[in-house]
Amino acid sequence: MIEITCNDRLGKKVRVKCNPDDTIGDLKKLIAAQTGTKHEKIVLKKWYTIYKDPIRLSDYEIHDGMNLELYYQ
Amino acid sequence: MGSSSGKKHKKDKKHSHRSRSHERQHRGPDEEVTLDLTDDSTSTRHKHHKHKKHKEHRHKHHKQKERERPSEVISLEESDSDSSDCVEVPIEQVARAKVREPPARERDPPTREREPLARERETLVREREQHAREREPPAREREPPARERELPVRERDHEITAPPPPQISKHVDYERERRRERETERERESRRRGVKDRERGRGSSRSQSPIASHQPHRQRSHSPKADNIASRKRGNREREPGRERERERARSRSHSPIPESGAGDVLSIAETNKLRAKLGLKPLEVETGPSKSAPSASSSSQPENKRSATDKDLSSYKDEWGEFLHKPADNIKEKKEAEKLREKLKQRKEKRFLEERLARIRTLGESDEETDNVSKWVDRNKRVVNQREEALRKAKELEELDEAFGVTDIIEQEKQKARQLAYGDRNLKGLRVEHDVDDFGEGRTVILTLKDQDVLNEEEGDTLVNVNMIDDERYKKNVANKKLNPLSYGYNVYEEQYDELGNPIERAILEKYDEDIEGQPQKRKNFLIGENMEEEREHKRKLLEIKTKLAGKRLETLQDTNIKLASDTFSVEELATFKKPKKKIKKLRQKLKAEDLEPIAELSGSSNLGSRQRSNRETDENVNMTDESKPQIKLEHDDDDDLERVLSKARKLKQKENIIKKHLPIDVTSITHNVKPEPVDDATDAGGVLLSSADGNIVLNATAEFCRTLGDIPTYGMAGNRNEDSNDMMDFDRAEALDEHMDANQEEPTLSHGTWNSVNPDEVMQPADLDNLGDDVEERAILDEEPDVGAGVANALRLALSKGYLEKEEKNRPSNTKMAHLQAKNYSIEDKAAGEDDKIGRRDRFHAGPIMEFKDKETFKPNVKLDYIDDNGRILNLKEAFRYLSHKFHGKGPGKNKIEKRLKKMEQDGLMKTMSSTDTPLCTLTMLQQKQKETKTPYVVLSGSNKTTAGISGASISKFK
Repeated sequence: MIEITCNDRLGKKVRVKCNPDDTIGDLKKLIAAQTGTKHEKIVLKKWYTIYKDPIRLSDYEIHDGMNLELYYQ
Repeated sequence: MGSSSGKKHKKDKKHSHRSRSHERQHRGPDEEVTLDLTDDSTSTRHKHHKHKKHKEHRHKHHKQKERERPSEVISLEESDSDSSDCVEVPIEQVARAKVREPPARERDPPTREREPLARERETLVREREQHAREREPPAREREPPARERELPVRERDHEITAPPPPQISKHVDYERERRRERETERERESRRRGVKDRERGRGSSRSQSPIASHQPHRQRSHSPKADNIASRKRGNREREPGRERERERARSRSHSPIPESGAGDVLSIAETNKLRAKLGLKPLEVETGPSKSAPSASSSSQPENKRSATDKDLSSYKDEWGEFLHKPADNIKEKKEAEKLREKLKQRKEKRFLEERLARIRTLGESDEETDNVSKWVDRNKRVVNQREEALRKAKELEELDEAFGVTDIIEQEKQKARQLAYGDRNLKGLRVEHDVDDFGEGRTVILTLKDQDVLNEEEGDTLVNVNMIDDERYKKNVANKKLNPLSYGYNVYEEQYDELGNPIERAILEKYDEDIEGQPQKRKNFLIGENMEEEREHKRKLLEIKTKLAGKRLETLQDTNIKLASDTFSVEELATFKKPKKKIKKLRQKLKAEDLEPIAELSGSSNLGSRQRSNRETDENVNMTDESKPQIKLEHDDDDDLERVLSKARKLKQKENIIKKHLPIDVTSITHNVKPEPVDDATDAGGVLLSSADGNIVLNATAEFCRTLGDIPTYGMAGNRNEDSNDMMDFDRAEALDEHMDANQEEPTLSHGTWNSVNPDEVMQPADLDNLGDDVEERAILDEEPDVGAGVANALRLALSKGYLEKEEKNRPSNTKMAHLQAKNYSIEDKAAGEDDKIGRRDRFHAGPIMEFKDKETFKPNVKLDYIDDNGRILNLKEAFRYLSHKFHGKGPGKNKIEKRLKKMEQDGLMKTMSSTDTPLCTLTMLQQKQKETKTPYVVLSGSNKTTAGISGASISKFK
């Protein structure tokens, strides 16, 4: 289990617990559950890399305690 | 381990710093010295690694310590004992320390809180103790037991503030001093620690957990935030249950690296799991991740067997820090062994199978009652034969039956039908093949496939193509495109306007784009299968014939001409067709002969039928020719002498006027310009033959001709010319002959080399003026400085050379005539050819070049000479010729001086050669003679020019020019 912080710098900041073998899509759903936005509308980014839904966190090397940027589309 | 320990050091350092600041608050300036000392010691300590074992040991101590939390009054033992730290101890000392340590540990676990500072102190003590020990190695043997004995005492002592430790009994005074020092320090520290304790509480509580699980927590706790949290929670540190809870929390938090202060919305694990279940995700793997691989103190308390087998599998691929481990490589040896085993099993299986099969076969040795018994064998054979016969008979019967019922016909029909149904040639009829017929060579198999076509495109029908041939065509087209000039955008100026038959080819405007625009190539050569190709071929052949006819070629047939036996004689018909080669009218020869002007006598038709041998014919001709030559023809008509003389005189006068004007080195061009072409009048010029060449007029008469036939033309130099000029006024008649020669001399350079003798001023000069000069030679040996001919041959030769009678080098190359005696007498080219009759035709075709002798002029054997002539018409010798060419080639002439020098030399040479040997250079002698002739007196009167009264003679020698 890892915990990831997602922050859109507009006032929403969530900590999400997830497994490393979850996909980004799953993570988005979890975030959506916590924040109340639709998961399709969420964009996760780290610098200029937009994380894609079908890929696992571990494949993106997202580790415990990492901070992801939360954007909406 | 290294990095973690380093971090720990850092942390310790931090604490020490903090503690120092506290110390400063508490202490006076006098205590600074010792502190500095400790500081130094810490710095030295940082260099060293810690032993794991030691840490464990420390933990144990700590646990005990926690259980019985010591009061603020600090005991000395813990700090005193070396057990707490052995950083600087060399190996042997560690060993020694071990011996001592166990009792110490049992007895009194040191308080963890004071550790860092205590360590500092201890190192100091250590050092000193080491010194002491080194000084007295034997005393130490006794020490351990003594210590054991004393330790309880010491414990007591410490409570009563520092009695001297008995173990150092030998150096009591010294030790005691030190102890006291330390004790005072410790007391101070303990006081300080009371304050500091809380501060450091969290860190120390962390340090409880075993090292392996300890690391990650430590790392995290380093962040300042963590410290903040720690300080916040210092409050509930004291009580045991509170601490327990705290630890629990720390553990739960230990999963989350994100500090609570910076956290946003957080869901607990349970909540998250619920959510995940709703989303259809598997629950969180709480044990996995970095915490799993490095189990913390609390997680280690969880039962090991809880871990699932899959977890173990997973963990087998992860190292202790949770990093991914690669799958171990296959063991090649094992693999090989397995392979070998498999092979063996397979072989055995096969063997078994074979054996089984072989077991069924009856071997030769086995008895067979049927074959063993003769009668039985015969029976069996009979049976077999009978069966065969039976089968045959039955088949026949059936056949008969079939015929009776007409089954065979039906079968036959069916067969035919099947054959008809089968796909054959006729099915292909009418299919279009989209290739040129010529591309299909005979005897070549080409596989054609149906071309890809639009499904809806019905009208075009099926077409057959060969993929490779399409590729070839495309390639050809590409090559053609490449050949086009890219600058002219595919427009070829030199494209053929007409096809092979001369019909204009129609080309659309910008047709090269047609294919691109309309997609399909418009015209492609194609043909229909089954169409009569013969017709087309015939048509093509006709076209080709026309084409070749237009090109001016002849089509050769390979049809054999009928072969006949060769006969020696012509048949009558043959003779009719046979045409003797016409005698060619002889052209003007080199020398104009009398017989040449005669009308050619008709060849009398010889009764000889003629043979195929050419040589025969030719000899005949020769004979004829010699017979026919008629010498009685006269060319010269001397009776017209007077008329001729008058005419020629007039001519001469006219010419002279021109000649006088020009310089003596004869300029050819000026001559051609100045000399007027005279009308050719054969009637008047009966005395000679007049030839008018392109470059000027050459007047020839009988005398000139005569001279010419002699081979040489007398040449006169400037002196002679002058003489003539002077004589002009006196008498033309007399000077006529001279004039003739002078003319010849002047005109000669302009003559071409062909028909007339080449003009060679250097050549032998011979006085040809027979009537005047010929006989006077010996009388008038006037000129001095001539080598005496009579003195010797050498002189004579020299004279001849200087006069040009002889030439220095033999210029004449061996000519045919000269070398005639070397030629084979009984061998001719004809003979050689006779052996290979069939080749004659070819030989004639290819070898009838200029090298071959002229058939009609057998006697003609030209002496070919290649001469180089300079701009003045002078013949150059080898050296000069080379120089001339070289100058021309390099475009750079010789220098001015060189030219002058050469000119001078040339002039002199010329003068020398043309100088008359019988006269003075000014020709006074001839002048004299002529005067005498004129006056018909044997004397000449010499008179001064101023004398007007000349006396009897009216004539005077006057000089012109």
